[in-house]
Amino acid sequence: MEASRRDLLGVAVGSLGVLGAIGVLYPIVKVLSPSQASLAGAKVEVDISQIPDLQVRVVSWKGKPVFVVKLPQGFQWNGKRANDQNTKLLQGQDAYALVAVCTHLGCVPLWKPQGEGEFSYPLFHCPCHGGFYSPWGDVIAGPPPRPLYVPPQKREGNKLVIGEEGFVKELT
Amino acid sequence: MIGRWFNERAKLSELWQSQMVDYKVPKTLTFPYAFGIMAILAFLVQIISGIFLVMYYQPNIHTAFDSANYTIMKEVPFMWLIRNVHAAGANFFLAVVYLHIFTGIYYNAYKKPRELTWIVGFFIYFVLLMTALSGYLLPWGQLSYWGMVVTTEIPTSIDSAPIIGKLKIGETISVWMKGGYELGQITLGRFFGLHIWLLPLILLGLVGFHFYLIRAHGITSPDGREIDKKKEGVPFHPYITLKEGAYLMGYFAVFFFFVFFYMKHFLPADNYDPANPFKTPAHIAPEWYLLAFYTMFRSIPDKFLGFVVFNLALILLLILPFLDFSPLRSARNRPLFFVMFVVLVISSMALTILGAMPPTPTNALLGLIFTLGFISFFVSLPIISILEWGWYKAKGGSKND
Amino acid sequence: MIKTIFFTVLTVVFFYIVWVNNIFAPHEKYEMPPEHRKIAMDYKYAKEGRELFVQNCAACHSVRYDALYLTQVQANPMLASLQEKYGKVLPRDVYESVFMNDLNALKEAFGKVPPDLSTTYLVKGPEYLYNFILEPQKVLPGTTMPAVMTGRPEETAKIVAYLKYVSEPPPQEKAKRNIMGVVTIGYLVVMGVLIWLWRGRILKKMGLH
Repeated sequence: MEASRRDLLGVAVGSLGVLGAIGVLYPIVKVLSPSQASLAGAKVEVDISQIPDLQVRVVSWKGKPVFVVKLPQGFQWNGKRANDQNTKLLQGQDAYALVAVCTHLGCVPLWKPQGEGEFSYPLFHCPCHGGFYSPWGDVIAGPPPRPLYVPPQKREGNKLVIGEEGFVKELT
Repeated sequence: MIGRWFNERAKLSELWQSQMVDYKVPKTLTFPYAFGIMAILAFLVQIISGIFLVMYYQPNIHTAFDSANYTIMKEVPFMWLIRNVHAAGANFFLAVVYLHIFTGIYYNAYKKPRELTWIVGFFIYFVLLMTALSGYLLPWGQLSYWGMVVTTEIPTSIDSAPIIGKLKIGETISVWMKGGYELGQITLGRFFGLHIWLLPLILLGLVGFHFYLIRAHGITSPDGREIDKKKEGVPFHPYITLKEGAYLMGYFAVFFFFVFFYMKHFLPADNYDPANPFKTPAHIAPEWYLLAFYTMFRSIPDKFLGFVVFNLALILLLILPFLDFSPLRSARNRPLFFVMFVVLVISSMALTILGAMPPTPTNALLGLIFTLGFISFFVSLPIISILEWGWYKAKGGSKND
Repeated sequence: MIKTIFFTVLTVVFFYIVWVNNIFAPHEKYEMPPEHRKIAMDYKYAKEGRELFVQNCAACHSVRYDALYLTQVQANPMLASLQEKYGKVLPRDVYESVFMNDLNALKEAFGKVPPDLSTTYLVKGPEYLYNFILEPQKVLPGTTMPAVMTGRPEETAKIVAYLKYVSEPPPQEKAKRNIMGVVTIGYLVVMGVLIWLWRGRILKKMGLH
């Protein structure tokens, strides 16, 4: 009888101790979690009508720079490229967002509407190691191993909403 | 299984056996013996809460106040709780250290061979006061700022001394502490660095040494005799560990009552006013843990003498083991010592309370009286020791006991 | 036994005086009519209080923690772009440098920049604020604060309610914190008692008690 009474006490102390440890850890975890302000940055809205044709605006989304590209009506592009992954994904869109981080080693490429070097059509040029991307982010030439990442995005009238599922469902 | 692997290599179970089970203590340890472990826990609480505060606090004079009172108190989830814990914790840490010091004095825990333990303890107390002072500056409120102005002015009282006052040593020290003629970014930056790592590291070292010395000599018995460990001792675990564990729960219950429901004194209203170098608050006084020294300093009309007296108080505290050379141990066995101990306690408490009161002539006189009371304890010790040696020898005791 | 009681009582009384209620320290008391006190303590008047603040006080006083800036600053187009960069609550040095001219103009007019009121409720308390806003000269003779709310005590109480709302968490959050406190303390008391009892049993088994 006595032995089990003591064990019950021991179990009670032990389990309450565990509860107490959780109670101490909970605020510690919450203190380190992202703040309301930073979570709000998960969605960025851009007014497309403010961007002139064939211009690129850079915005910040989830801490990363993002290109918002505005193409003029009936835009034709006949440059060469390695593959069509992004072109197919963004087909028919006159405005879209691309993550402005070169997939080679992380620099931010530059928008060159007049072309650059041996290419005389609009493209992105990464000055760090000479990567070239089409306006949709597909690789034309240079060391980048894959196209620019495309964030999830949605079009609502004149607004491009980056961070929400739309014509692009998830980050490529 | 992993436990066994680890244990074979770290030899922890042998450590446990020697330090917790084989280590024997008297059965008669009283409640105040727990203040030591409460002090260690209070230290731990400050370190842990401090770790999180340092992630959000900004040691820049323009943004410090807002980082504490907006980012920490309002923006980041649960940081209000951590700040409350740290602010209340500083006060509880000092309270428990004071109680621990007075317990040690009462039971004569500083007598041979534990004089070094006492000396190390004194330095822990001193460094702790520095840590508290530097920490209080950080929120950069009115009290933080002006409290530090007053503190850094204290060395200038040396300049009121005859002859050596002309050297202006005090002003040099004061300017050196601040890093300039006024409290500014340089001051805040250096106190921040001191507070968050250098002083705590020094404290850790001192506390470690202090703890080692305690374990090396064993704990003193409340009635002053060294016990026969085999016959009268009880194993530290579980006799003391669980007892102090239960006491600690009580300590934390009181602590968290203040943290959740009564922060008014630990986050004083005037410190919610951002620091303004052009506006002095109506009442500046140090926090309660320094008020006794403040009263001693204030009660003596001559500034230099006041400076000397409160430093004397600290020095007397440090050399206590050498002032009390009586063969008898523990206030339980020493009625004269007991009386003077009560004088010490009441004087210290009165000095603290007087420090928060306005400096009227009556209060100044009372301050002087209780300063003398405080000092009289230390002065009486050699006298009592001589008397007690007389009685001791008459009863057949000798120097070689 | 007597000694234990003596020292325990002495310690408890000492810490009561030093930490809870120092009966010896000076306290200033201000009066506030109970019906206006009720308004000031009521969270639901904070919204109206904010509007009243904007109309009557924001020409000179900001409440930065509520992203409430001086009227002249609010009208300045720079504010929006600054807030985009720094968040709604601007860092103090940024705010004070960008809008230095507006602040200096106030300094010229009043002798010093009228203070930001984000934490003033915590510093002064409702009674002081109520009296000061209604009759500045009576509370602080010689102050340059004009009596903008004369004859409007009820609205003053609402402004105090707003200042309280900026300084304190909302009632639901306060209730949550109170529950947290009660649960924590209850847990510790229960744990303390359990450990004591458990220890008793262990010691009995070891024959040590």
